[in-house]
Amino acid sequence: MNISRNWLSRYVTIDCDLETLCDKLTMAGIEVEAVESAGTVPAGVVTGRILTRKPHPDSDHMSVCTVDIGGGTVLQIVCGAPNCDAGCVVPVATIGTVFHTPEGDFKIKKSKLRGVESQGMMCSEKELGLSENHEGLMILDPATELGQPVDRLFPGDTRIEIEVTPNRPDWLSMWGVARDVSCLLGTEAKLPEITIPACDKPAPGLVTVEAPDLCTRYIGRLIRNVKIGPSPEWIQKSLESIGLRPINNVVDVTNFVMMELGQPLHAFDLAKLKEGRVIARRAKSGEKITTLDGKTLTLEPRHLVIADAEKPMALAGVMGGEYSGVTEETTDVLLESAVFFSSNIRATSRELGISSDSSYRYERGVDWDMAELASKRAAQLILETAGGELGSEAVDVNTGRPAEKVIPCRFDRVRALIGTQVSNERIVEIFRTLHLKVDDVTGSGCVVTAPLFRLDLEREADLIEEVARIDGLDRIPEIAVTGKICGSIREDAYLPLETLRNKIISLGFYECLHYSTVNRESALSDSRFTESDLIRLKNPISQELAIMRPSLLGEMLGTIERNISRRNLTLKLFETGKAFCRNPELFPEERFELCLALTGLKHPEQYSEELKAQYDFFDMKGALESLFELMNTKRYRFVPVEDGRFRKGCAAEIQIEGKKAGAFGELAPSLVKGWRTTYPVFVAQLDMAVLLAADHGVGYYVPFSLFPATSRDVAFVAPTGLTHADVLEFIRKAKPADLESVRLFDIFEKDGRKSMAYQLTFRNRERTLTDAEVNARFDKLREKLKNELKVELR
Amino acid sequence: MNAIIEKINRALEEAAAKAAAASAADAVEQIRIDYLGRNGLFPALSKEMGSVAPEERKETGRAFNEGRNRIQAMIEEAAARLASAPGAAEGALDLSLPGRRWNCGRKHPVTIVADECAEIFRRMGFIVSEGPEIEDIFHNFDALNTPMDHPSRDPQDTFYFEDGRILRTQTSPVQIRTMESHEPPVRIVAPGRVFRRDTPDATHGMNFHQIEGLYIDKGVSMADLKSVLRMFATEMFGPKVKIRLRPHFFPFTEPSVEYDFSCIMCGGKGCPVCKHSGWIEIAGAGMVDPAVFKNVGYDPEIWTGYAFGLGIERLAMLRYRIPDLRYLYENDVRFLEQF
Repeated sequence: MNISRNWLSRYVTIDCDLETLCDKLTMAGIEVEAVESAGTVPAGVVTGRILTRKPHPDSDHMSVCTVDIGGGTVLQIVCGAPNCDAGCVVPVATIGTVFHTPEGDFKIKKSKLRGVESQGMMCSEKELGLSENHEGLMILDPATELGQPVDRLFPGDTRIEIEVTPNRPDWLSMWGVARDVSCLLGTEAKLPEITIPACDKPAPGLVTVEAPDLCTRYIGRLIRNVKIGPSPEWIQKSLESIGLRPINNVVDVTNFVMMELGQPLHAFDLAKLKEGRVIARRAKSGEKITTLDGKTLTLEPRHLVIADAEKPMALAGVMGGEYSGVTEETTDVLLESAVFFSSNIRATSRELGISSDSSYRYERGVDWDMAELASKRAAQLILETAGGELGSEAVDVNTGRPAEKVIPCRFDRVRALIGTQVSNERIVEIFRTLHLKVDDVTGSGCVVTAPLFRLDLEREADLIEEVARIDGLDRIPEIAVTGKICGSIREDAYLPLETLRNKIISLGFYECLHYSTVNRESALSDSRFTESDLIRLKNPISQELAIMRPSLLGEMLGTIERNISRRNLTLKLFETGKAFCRNPELFPEERFELCLALTGLKHPEQYSEELKAQYDFFDMKGALESLFELMNTKRYRFVPVEDGRFRKGCAAEIQIEGKKAGAFGELAPSLVKGWRTTYPVFVAQLDMAVLLAADHGVGYYVPFSLFPATSRDVAFVAPTGLTHADVLEFIRKAKPADLESVRLFDIFEKDGRKSMAYQLTFRNRERTLTDAEVNARFDKLREKLKNELKVELR
Repeated sequence: MNAIIEKINRALEEAAAKAAAASAADAVEQIRIDYLGRNGLFPALSKEMGSVAPEERKETGRAFNEGRNRIQAMIEEAAARLASAPGAAEGALDLSLPGRRWNCGRKHPVTIVADECAEIFRRMGFIVSEGPEIEDIFHNFDALNTPMDHPSRDPQDTFYFEDGRILRTQTSPVQIRTMESHEPPVRIVAPGRVFRRDTPDATHGMNFHQIEGLYIDKGVSMADLKSVLRMFATEMFGPKVKIRLRPHFFPFTEPSVEYDFSCIMCGGKGCPVCKHSGWIEIAGAGMVDPAVFKNVGYDPEIWTGYAFGLGIERLAMLRYRIPDLRYLYENDVRFLEQF
C-alpha cells in the first residue's frame, strides 16, 4: 500500500521530518518498505543572494561569487553556471548538505576549485530534483527572504510504501493511517468537512439485496446530470502520488475516496442498467460477465454479482462489468457503497484470478460505518468536480449494524504481559487516542468498546498489543534471562543427531544438504523403492520437485555427478535427513537416513606413489567401522549382499545388534553411467533409527597386562572360499589360552591360490610366558588350522 | 695374533677407508650394518670368541672391544663430517613438499548455524524438540489459530498431499505437539526443515530451516522474550549487535513482533544488504495467543509464554556473506570446504 505524505497531511499535521515519521510508522507496526521522494529539496539548501561575481583567475567558464545567505553570513562560492549574476536570489547548498542521488549520496564539502576556495554550491532546478531544467541556476523571486530553507518554498511529495499486516485493514486508507499517525505524533487527526445538499427523493426499487448473507449493506445513491471530464488537478496529483492513473472525474472520485477512507466504491452508468436498478444476488449457474479488463468469466451461485434487471453488471467487490462503467456519454450515475462478506470476496478473487484495489480491501474487511460516510463523501466530490445534482436519497439496504465488541481490560494484566510499568492513565490515554471508546475506568481496569473499523480487537490480549505498540516496544526493559529448566538433556531430540554429524565430519566427510522433493528418476534410482512406495505432492511446483525423496541416494548421485562434471573428482560427502516412504512394510512414513559417499584420491595433495592411492571398498568399510567405534556401537557386522544399488560382489549389508541397519558398496555400473571419472564411487546408506537406537553404553575399563607379549607368525595357503572372517571365527572358537590378538599381515594370490599370513600375539595378565608355553599353544593352534580348517601350512 | 684379531684389524682398515670415502648418510649407515648390525661382522665374531684359546682370550677380547668402539667412532666421525660439510643441507628434507593432510570434513553452513542456535538456547535452559515434516492441518494451522481462509493455507503457498495432510510450513506445529504432550512449564526450541511453495531463487527455496522457540510458565512477559532474543543476538553475532522489536501480526501470537538485528554488514549505517535501513529482519515472535492455549488445554489465565521463529539459512547467509540461497543446496565441494 502506498501513501503520500502530502495526501496524509490533509488529515493530520506531520510536524516531524520524513525519517522520524517513517521510523515511528515502522515502530508502530506500519512497516515502511520503501520511500520514494519526488521533488524533495534536501535540508541545508537555503536561499541566498549573489552579491558579487568575478571571473575565476584560472578558468574560462567559472566564476567566483560572494553570496549572502542571511544572518550576516556571506559565502565565497565558485560557480560554473552562466547565469550566476550579482543580485540574483538562488538556492544555495551549504556545507554539509547531502544530496541523495541514484548513484549514491553526495555531500557538499568545503573545497578548492582550481585553487579558489568554495564554501557551498548554487543549484539548478534539476540538482534540487524540482524539474529536469539544468540550463543554469534556479532563479528565485528577488523579494525572497534570505537564509530560509528552500524545501519550505517548494515542498515536494514523498511516496511511502507500507506493509499492511492482514489484521489491520483500517490502514489501507490515508485516513486510517492518519488516525495512527495522530496517536504517534500527538497531533489531532481530522476528516475534511463532508456535506451534501439534502435530497429526500425516494427511489423505490433502486437497490435489492437478494443475498444478505454475502452483502450485509448496500447504499445506492443517484447523481444526475453529471458532466464527465478530467478531474481537477489536486485529485489527479493525489492519485498519481500513490501510483494510480487518473481516468475521469467520476471514476477518479471513487478511487480517491477509496484511498482516502478505505471504502471501495463503484459508479454505474444508470442508463446502462436495465430498469435503472441494481440487485445484489448470487450468480446463476453458467451466467457470464465480461469484466473491465476484458475477461469473460463463467459464474456459479457461489459468486456474488451486482446485476440489473437482466444480467450481471459487476462482480461484486472485485471488478465492474465492461458495459456498465462510466464513460464520456454518462449523465446519470448510480453510486455504490457496499459491505460484502470478506471470505466470499477472497474466495471469488482467488478462484477467478482477479484482484483489484477493491477486492484487496473487501477481502480484509471494510468498516460498516464507513460505507455511509464514504458514499456521502463521494457524492460531495462528484457534485464538486462533475456538477449535476443528487437524484435520490441514499438507499441503504442492510442487515443491521453489527454489535461493537466490548472488552474489559485489566491494567495489571497489561503490565504483566508487556513487562513494563506503563501507568493506568497512559493505558487509557493510548486507547482514547486510537479512537477507541473507554468506559468504567477504575483503579484496576477499564472497558473498551472497539469501533467497527477495528475488527481485530476482540480480546484483552488484542488491547495489550495496542498498549505495547503505541507505548513503544523499545520501552520494554532487557532483564536477566531466567527461566526454569523444563526437562532433561536426555530428552533432547537433536543432540544425538548433532553428535553423530560431528563424528562423521571427524572422519573427513563434508556435509551436503538437498531438497526433500525430487523427480521420479532420482526417487527410483534407489532400487529398494518402486513407484507405489513413493509419496507424491498433490500440488508440486514442477515435476522436478514432485516426489518426497524415498532415500537420500538420488540427490547424492546428482551431487556426485555435478561435482565430477566440474572436475571435483575426490569427494567425501555425507547427508543426514528425512526420507519418506508410503509402504509401511518397508519403512515408516518418515525416517532419518544417513548417506555417505566416497570416491577419488586418498592423498590428492601428495605425489609419486602416494598420489596413486584411490579410495576403495575398504576405505568405506573402515569409515563405517571407525564411526561405529566412535559411537561405541559394539555389535555390528557386514554381510555380503546382492543389491541393485551396488556392483555385484562389491556390496555388504550392515547389521547392528542383529538388525538390518543399511548397506554399502561400490555403485552399480548403471548408476554411474556416463560419469566422467575413472575412480570407483562408494556409497553407504544407513537407517539412523537403528544406528541411534543401538547400545552406545559406556565401555567399562578393561585391565591390561604389564607383562611382555610374544608373537608367532603362521602362514598358509587357504582352501577355496575361506575368508578372513572364517579364520578369525575359527581361532576365536579354538580359544587358545593367553591369545591376545590376531593380525592379518599379508595376503597374496599366486597360481590361483590364496596365501594368508597372520601374526598371533600371546600375553598373560599375571606373568611372563615362557617360549615353551607359547610354542605349545601356537603349535596346537597350527595343527588345528591344518586339520580342521584344512589349510596348507607354509 | 689369532685369526679373530686379524679379521678385526682388516675390518678396521676397510672401515676406515669406507668411512673416509662415505659421501652420504646411507653409506655411513651401511658401515654400521656391515660391522655392527645384527648380521654384521662383530656380532658374528662374538660367536667365534668361544673357540679362542684361553691364553689368548684376554687379548682377543680387548681387541674386539677396541675394534668395535673404533668403528663406532668412525661412524660418528663420518656422520659428523657429512652433517657439517658444505652443502650438507642438500640431503635434508625439502620442507616445502606438501604435508600429508589429516583430512577433517566440515559441517554444512546451515547445520553449523543450527547447531550453534541449539547450543545457545540450551545454555539458556531450552530443550531441543522436533516434529514430523509431513504434518496435519490441525497442528500446522488450526491449533495455531490460523483463520480458515488465511492465504497461507492456500495450495498456492502450501504443499498438500492427496490425504489432506501437508508439508509443514513452519516449525510452529512443534509448539502444539509439545504442549499436547507436556504439562506446563515448557521451554523448548525446535530446529527443522519447513516447506513453502516458492520457486527457488536467490532468496527462496522450496524448503529451508527454521528454529522455533517456546517458553510457557507463570508470569512470562515480553521483557523475557526481548531479553532472550537480546542474548541470542549477542551470542550469535557479538556484543556490538543491536536488536529491536517491531509490532507485527501472526495468528498464533498476541502481541506479535518482528525482531531485527542491526545490520551485520554495515553496523547499522545502511547498505544494500539491509536496504539502507540499518536493520535486518531475523525473526517473528510474540506472546502465545490465548486461543492457542485453549486449543491445547492450557489455562491462559494461569500460563503465559512467548514463542519465536528464526530462519536459519538467513543467519547462515549473513554470517558467511553467501549471496544466493541456491548455493546452499548445490553442494559443490569447493563451497562445502569453506565453512
